[in-house]
Amino acid sequence: MALAGAAVKEGRGRTALVLALACLAAAAWLVPYAWMVLTSFKTLPEIVADPTAPLPKHFDTGAYHEVFATIPVGRYMAVTTVMAVAIAAAQILLALPAGYALAKLRFVGHRFAFGIVVACLLVPAQATFVPVFLFFAHVRLVDTMTALVLPFAASALGTFLVRQALLGVPDEIIEAARMDGASEWTIVYRVLAPLLKPTLVSLFLVSFVFHYNDYFWPLVMTTGDSVRTLPLGVALLREQGTGVRWHIVMAGNVVLSLPVLALFAVAQQHLVRAVRARS
Amino acid sequence: MLGPTIALLVGFFVVPIGVAAYESLFSWDLLTPPRYVGGANYAALAAHGQLLNIALRTLGYSVLVVAGTMTLGLALALLLDRPGRLYAFVRACVFSAYVVSWVAVALLWMWLLDGNGGIVGRLLHVLGAPPIAILGDPRWALPALAVVGVWKLTGYAMIIFLAGLQAVPRSLLEAAALDGAGAWNRFRHVTMPLLAPTAAFVATTSLVTSFQAFDVVRIMTQGGPARSTELFVYAIYEQIFLDLSVGRASALTVVFFVMLLAVAGLQLRAWRLRGQP
Amino acid sequence: MSRLARRDLLRASLAGLVVPSVACRQRARPEMRDGRVVVTFWYAYGDLTRKVLLDLVAQYNASQARVVVDAVHQGDYYECLAKLRTAMAAGAAPTLSHVVCEVVPYLARAGMLEPLDAYEGARAIPFVPALAQGGAFEGGDHEPLVAIPFNRSTPIAFANAHALQEAGVRPPRTWDELESAARTLTRRSPSGEVRWGFEVPISWWYWVAMVGQAGGHLVENGGRVTLGGEAGEKAIRFWQRLVREDQVMRPPPGRDYQAWQSSNESFLQERIAMMWSSTAFVRYLENNARFPVLAAPLPADVRASVPTGGTMFVLMRAAPDAEKQAAWDFVRWMCEPEQTIAWSTRTGYMPVTRPAVQRLIERGWYASHPNDRVAYDQLGDVAPWPWAPDLFRVERDIVEPRLEEAVLTRRDAHELMDEARAEAQRPA
Repeated sequence: MALAGAAVKEGRGRTALVLALACLAAAAWLVPYAWMVLTSFKTLPEIVADPTAPLPKHFDTGAYHEVFATIPVGRYMAVTTVMAVAIAAAQILLALPAGYALAKLRFVGHRFAFGIVVACLLVPAQATFVPVFLFFAHVRLVDTMTALVLPFAASALGTFLVRQALLGVPDEIIEAARMDGASEWTIVYRVLAPLLKPTLVSLFLVSFVFHYNDYFWPLVMTTGDSVRTLPLGVALLREQGTGVRWHIVMAGNVVLSLPVLALFAVAQQHLVRAVRARS
Repeated sequence: MLGPTIALLVGFFVVPIGVAAYESLFSWDLLTPPRYVGGANYAALAAHGQLLNIALRTLGYSVLVVAGTMTLGLALALLLDRPGRLYAFVRACVFSAYVVSWVAVALLWMWLLDGNGGIVGRLLHVLGAPPIAILGDPRWALPALAVVGVWKLTGYAMIIFLAGLQAVPRSLLEAAALDGAGAWNRFRHVTMPLLAPTAAFVATTSLVTSFQAFDVVRIMTQGGPARSTELFVYAIYEQIFLDLSVGRASALTVVFFVMLLAVAGLQLRAWRLRGQP
Repeated sequence: MSRLARRDLLRASLAGLVVPSVACRQRARPEMRDGRVVVTFWYAYGDLTRKVLLDLVAQYNASQARVVVDAVHQGDYYECLAKLRTAMAAGAAPTLSHVVCEVVPYLARAGMLEPLDAYEGARAIPFVPALAQGGAFEGGDHEPLVAIPFNRSTPIAFANAHALQEAGVRPPRTWDELESAARTLTRRSPSGEVRWGFEVPISWWYWVAMVGQAGGHLVENGGRVTLGGEAGEKAIRFWQRLVREDQVMRPPPGRDYQAWQSSNESFLQERIAMMWSSTAFVRYLENNARFPVLAAPLPADVRASVPTGGTMFVLMRAAPDAEKQAAWDFVRWMCEPEQTIAWSTRTGYMPVTRPAVQRLIERGWYASHPNDRVAYDQLGDVAPWPWAPDLFRVERDIVEPRLEEAVLTRRDAHELMDEARAEAQRPA
């Protein structure tokens, strides 16, 4: 990474200060996580007696047992993963031809279509959920995977980014493929897609993470247990109505966050790049 | 090629806004047939200043979060824009909050801010503050939610600012240094103007994201205490799912959407004007 | 699905969207599994209560081969109710669930609940009168039977026995005694920590109790919603005084059942000496406290009065007949003495039938668990709910937000109640 800020030599005192501040920053973000993990290993009597004790007396996994006994973690995780993968995959599959059409093809209504895509960038799911929920209720699709996946199958952002990326691709490649007799679909998926691989990977990851974490849409679209997602399941741990259960809630939190943090650790570059690509 | 995408986008993003506008003119509880009531939903929402309060609260929350994330994000970007594993690790820590679920962040902070056993309360007590249950106090609940928002979103601002910083040509900075400008002056006169578009982008997207805040309210305070954290999307959710009033929910949706457009539009316009070199 | 088919579906459904549809569609075929009828049961408990329920459900499923009950957890009462109503509208409702008393008239009027009079043995179960539909509602006997008592409770007062002993205070029997006891029990340490004398969730249920104690009624004869009139305001002012002037009470943070949870926590952590909560938590508090827990009836003002609480079983009319019959079989089983005894002894909720109470007395249960008896003894002072379809809306939309406001901000009780009454008397 090229760095611009430290172009000038700085004194040792300054470096020490920067180091101290950096550690402070790290602490501000790490301490809450650490506290979450520590709490998850405590027991109820410990939390009642002394909630802010730094370390648990023994590392008790009772809270985790309780979490796995209370909610079907495996099933929820599977549902959530399937849903997130389906959405991310559908978005890529649809964004490619759509972005291609907007970038490279000329047709009537081309500007209008692009206008729609840009307009939809501004409409959040929170503004549309009431009529969409009623629609799914009307066709009896509430509480199904369709209600969770279909509304997001087309991504305005994905289409926009693919279009931007394709604008940079020289037309000669497309012309050459056409002359070789390739159909438009082949051009999109066989010729252009590999060129866009970094963009597509980033898009997939960002979409996957966003929808894996999504709480609002599954909350609104599901009533029963059949396609409940993990964030919903973990949030339900809080709504218990008797008393102190923080160790259980934190254990659930750890279970919820670990997969995403693991993915982050592995795919950090792609996620960061995807976030930057939007600017 | 374009068909499915446009159909889905129109069907799930454009049409529902129109339908919401239509349904806001009715009173309907999903279990009995709807009744036409014209503007009564809007009037009922405007009565007692409820609608105004929701709008002001949402704006207030968003402004707090945006101000916080931009300041902190820029500061962290400047601080951590150095080579080395340590700084890379710190950057990753800060950004990690952006990647985890809002559910995880909200539950975690609920525990940290808990009136009975939260360490934030204990810390404040040690620093001499009076013992209050932060999430139970109408004056402090919303700022507390804003702090949680800042904690989660600063990583995003930091990453964008880092990219912006790296786009500042080194030659300009070196020239300024040769001219005798100190670090602060270099920052003010070279870096900042070049960062203006980046800042505009971060501000706009953070504003729009905060405006849509829901998860943190639903999990941490459910709109309370005494409605002090009732933000737009949560109010819409409550109207339809807890009060079963589709008409009111739709009316709120329409107002929300209009405000969202206005906020995004104004923000973009203002920064574009300021950002002209 | 092909592109065209998708677009057509979209267009057809858009038409359906704009023309609203009424939700009372009946599902035709019952769900079956391994030859057994599946009854989907949505419940709203967690922690200890949840365990007890799931144990009983497992016991039922193992005891016969015709029915299998699928219990699905749905959050707290309000969350479950919200999901229930939206599921009804979406045609995806379960067969069996349980709801708070206050919403039963509304659901009944909306035609969502299955009338149970014709079901085998429905009118013959020897319920404790105050807990069944007839006793829980004014005129409940004249309405079709739609609700069967499940986990029934009354609010009771809990106290930290050590704290009371130390301060030489008795469990208060009147409002005045409560105020002075709370003052005596509130301890402020030099470091700023407070041991509050009293705490109660700022919630409709406890306010209704106080309205009754102050001599008021929610709804006057003739159906006018007065919200207790003077008594309603007096109740609010009492709370305001305890919080503001006397400073012996801290309103527990959190909304709805979060506040109840918070109170329980504070009690267990010995940060409060006395609290009002539900008899439902007797076992939980006794098991987890490091001090002896003392339960007592709520204090009286002009008179003693408590509302009933907890929930009633309801069956959804839209479910297939076979599923409804199966659900009824389960409900009836739950009302048998051994089951209701298991339920109440393991939690603290009241046993719902007279033979069950008799058996518990004979077994000496109440002698060894005096805290369990408190709620049952208060049944003589129960103030029944009005059978008003608007009751739930009044509770959630009109009264509860104002209770919070009254205690947390400096608004005047009379003003707030006037506003509330005006809103309540307007048609929805």
